[in-house]
Amino acid sequence: MMTTEFLIELEGIVGADGLVRDEGELITYESDGLVSHRSRPGAAVLPKTAEQVQAVVRLCHRTGIPFVARGQGTGLSGGALPHPDGVLIVMTRMTRVLDVDIPNQRITVEPGVANLEVTRRVASDGYYYAPDPSSQVVCSIGGNVAENSGGAHCLKYGFTVHHVLGLEVVLPDGEMVHLGGEALDAPGLDLLGVVVGSEGTLGVVTKVTLRLLRRPESVRTLLAAFDSTDAAGNAVSDVIAAGIIPAAIEMMDRTTIRAAEAAVQPGFPDAEAVLIVELDGSQNEVETLFEQIEAVCAKNHGWGVQVARDDAQRGRIWMGRKAAFAAMGRVSPNYYVQDGVIPRSTLPEVLRRIRGLEQRSGLTIGNVFHAGDGNLHPLVCYDDAVEGQAELAEQAASEILTYCLDVGGSLTGEHGIGADKVCHMPKMFSEDDLATMQLVRAAFDPLGLCNPDKLLPTPRLCGEVPGPYRAHPIEVAGRAQRV
Amino acid sequence: MVTPALPHENLVAEVNARIGAPAARPGGDADRIDGVIPVVVVEPLTPEAVAIVLGWASETGRTVLTRGGGTKLARIPAPVSTVDVLLSTRGLDTVEVHRHGDLTATVQAGATLRETNAVLAEHRQWLALDPPRGDRATIGGILATNDSGPRRQGHGTPRDLIIGMTLARADGVVARSGGIVVKNVAGYDLARLMTGSFGCLGVILNATFKLAPLAGASRTVSVTFPDIDRCVAYADDLRVHAATPSALELAMPAVSMLVRFESVESVAEQQAYRAVALAEAKDGTAVVLSAENETVAWQAHGARVLEGEGTLVKLSVVSAQLLPTLIWLDAEARSRRLEYEVIGRAGLGVLCLRLNGATSDQAELLNALRGRLPVGSGSAVLQEAHADLKALVDVWGPIGDGLRMMQEVKRQFDPTATLNPGRGPGGL
Repeated sequence: MMTTEFLIELEGIVGADGLVRDEGELITYESDGLVSHRSRPGAAVLPKTAEQVQAVVRLCHRTGIPFVARGQGTGLSGGALPHPDGVLIVMTRMTRVLDVDIPNQRITVEPGVANLEVTRRVASDGYYYAPDPSSQVVCSIGGNVAENSGGAHCLKYGFTVHHVLGLEVVLPDGEMVHLGGEALDAPGLDLLGVVVGSEGTLGVVTKVTLRLLRRPESVRTLLAAFDSTDAAGNAVSDVIAAGIIPAAIEMMDRTTIRAAEAAVQPGFPDAEAVLIVELDGSQNEVETLFEQIEAVCAKNHGWGVQVARDDAQRGRIWMGRKAAFAAMGRVSPNYYVQDGVIPRSTLPEVLRRIRGLEQRSGLTIGNVFHAGDGNLHPLVCYDDAVEGQAELAEQAASEILTYCLDVGGSLTGEHGIGADKVCHMPKMFSEDDLATMQLVRAAFDPLGLCNPDKLLPTPRLCGEVPGPYRAHPIEVAGRAQRV
Repeated sequence: MVTPALPHENLVAEVNARIGAPAARPGGDADRIDGVIPVVVVEPLTPEAVAIVLGWASETGRTVLTRGGGTKLARIPAPVSTVDVLLSTRGLDTVEVHRHGDLTATVQAGATLRETNAVLAEHRQWLALDPPRGDRATIGGILATNDSGPRRQGHGTPRDLIIGMTLARADGVVARSGGIVVKNVAGYDLARLMTGSFGCLGVILNATFKLAPLAGASRTVSVTFPDIDRCVAYADDLRVHAATPSALELAMPAVSMLVRFESVESVAEQQAYRAVALAEAKDGTAVVLSAENETVAWQAHGARVLEGEGTLVKLSVVSAQLLPTLIWLDAEARSRRLEYEVIGRAGLGVLCLRLNGATSDQAELLNALRGRLPVGSGSAVLQEAHADLKALVDVWGPIGDGLRMMQEVKRQFDPTATLNPGRGPGGL
């Protein structure tokens, strides 16, 4: 529990304006983008410097108080869900760009800097930062590091872990360390590769050095409509089979197309599915391969083909895609986003099962996905005002995850495990797998204070036997049924 | 470290009894590592047997060194005192699954890169890595050292391509991380932790990779320059012109560059000719190579550092320090009468240096070189070196303030210090 002395010391570190204690103000922080999970922190701090972060963590470590770091709160797995007896470390005041180093294609920023701001800073020099999660206008680099964020273009360019070169991290005991650096291949274990994507459980990142990429000479974006998601899926397979790795291949189904139209009017055709395919590279290469993409779409009976002629048209197509989540609010009072991943070739099978689930549950399930890498984002629509529907939606979303695991996929492609899917982990990993992951946590955070109860399941969180569903004896006897 | 109390024969019998198969034999001259002959060499044919050997070794206080193709044992040049067990992964050499529709494959650790890519080529795909000695180097060894080659420019390192791994811990527990899908953030990334850990945390059993389609055509522009200044300026020019070579390799002291383009034929050809024009603008003499000529040029390039006497050093610098470092190196080597060859990734600042001459001069040059590279802004790591030099120069150089946590991770994964003790980065 936080004592008065603790709070006085906390205020001494971050100043009166950096400490939030007021219950009303704390409501702001009680959830991240996953609003179905809520918990009010004991206190929130808004540090301005790495030294303040370090002092706060040291204090927590010394007094045994849990702490959770939070960026812009756009995360979709409850990774920044506060601990009710803990301190929430809000990084939104640490927004300085510390060094723009064009000759070395590097930029060093504080974790509160927004993803898109990085590209804005270097665009005039002809460079950009590749990972582009849909929330890139607001989401912070620190949050991207925690979640190993992806985006539409990671098919060709990889995830955050491929673009972070160096990190300054305050470890859970308050020690500050520097992992990686400006040059490649720093000798030592790749702790940087583990901290990226560790969902804030191994420390608090206070400085990030990122790799910048040269803007490609040419970019071309195509949108094509299909009469079924299977036809669109076949087109994706044909693109891959032709040996082409586009910068992005995205698919949206009828539900999400209509939602996007209602929200931002991108001018998408009213179809069962649309594909967005983007190629980049040298002009000659893009033109040559683009012809092949057009031929693949035609072969799979694609229609309503739109080719972006300029940046404005390209921006409009991407706006339609990136607005898809938020746009669901136009067609449904509430929705639950899932983030499962499947081997791309199993797409038709998994979509068929999702359609079956839609019919059985009576809930509308929209689908928007990174089709190139098999990352699904099913959007399960429900109405919180209708009793029991939220639970039904959550069950449906869980069931979709089992479809993903059945075909060898993953619980999450980019949103993270967080608090949301922690009890699903034993469905994907064995006890030995999880115990081995726990060794990493034990090395970094032996006291278990740093973003506890996230990522790795515990019996306390998930019940005595976290694991695949086992029928209760009375079910086996036919005297009860699972709904 | 506990030295084995039993004579060789008993130890061999004990290991074979545990595994239930004749996988162990006494170590011989050919198994020598840094002059030390291992007591037992064991080559299990199943992942389970690897786990059994490790469990037994950690329980009984034996040390285990791991070997794949044996191409890098001298390239992990930390000193060894005694070796109880040399564990070879060569018995695990299967390409388990090639999911060509998904552009992924799962490969056992003991398969060589060449064997692996021969299988993947049936569907015109490959594991896009070209480290030295890829004909003999195994998947496990390449991962353990995070080794790569010229085409890192276009395709990255093992760390960039790995999506899942099964490993055996030092205590024999088998664990899995990641999976078979290219995008996956569930759980801690143990596969990346293992990659580049030089075998000090666990034994890699199999790995799943993201693959690349084989390009339809390849062209290499071979350029010679009057000096290194113009060579490095040329690499910058290519970047400014947004060229997308799959390899961009410089070489010194005879200054030259190889630039490779891989795509469909017309595109590779067009990019190559544009690169020729840019080279000529920098006073370079350029030719475009294809087919057999291209293969020969790349083999000769690698041989400049891989074949010959002396010390092999991996050097990493930021782009802006590439030219100053190379100029300094040339002057320093000449003044000390050291012979040297450098090849490397001009676009990435990662170089291979071969150095030959008096040991004390080599040591002084390497220490001075490290003095120019503060932690985080560059490194110089010994990859092959004579014991005399290793006595004078630390293999890894400074690791930085992350070392304590690396030691803590090692303690958690291998509390009995069973696996490759002292041979991990920073002496883990």
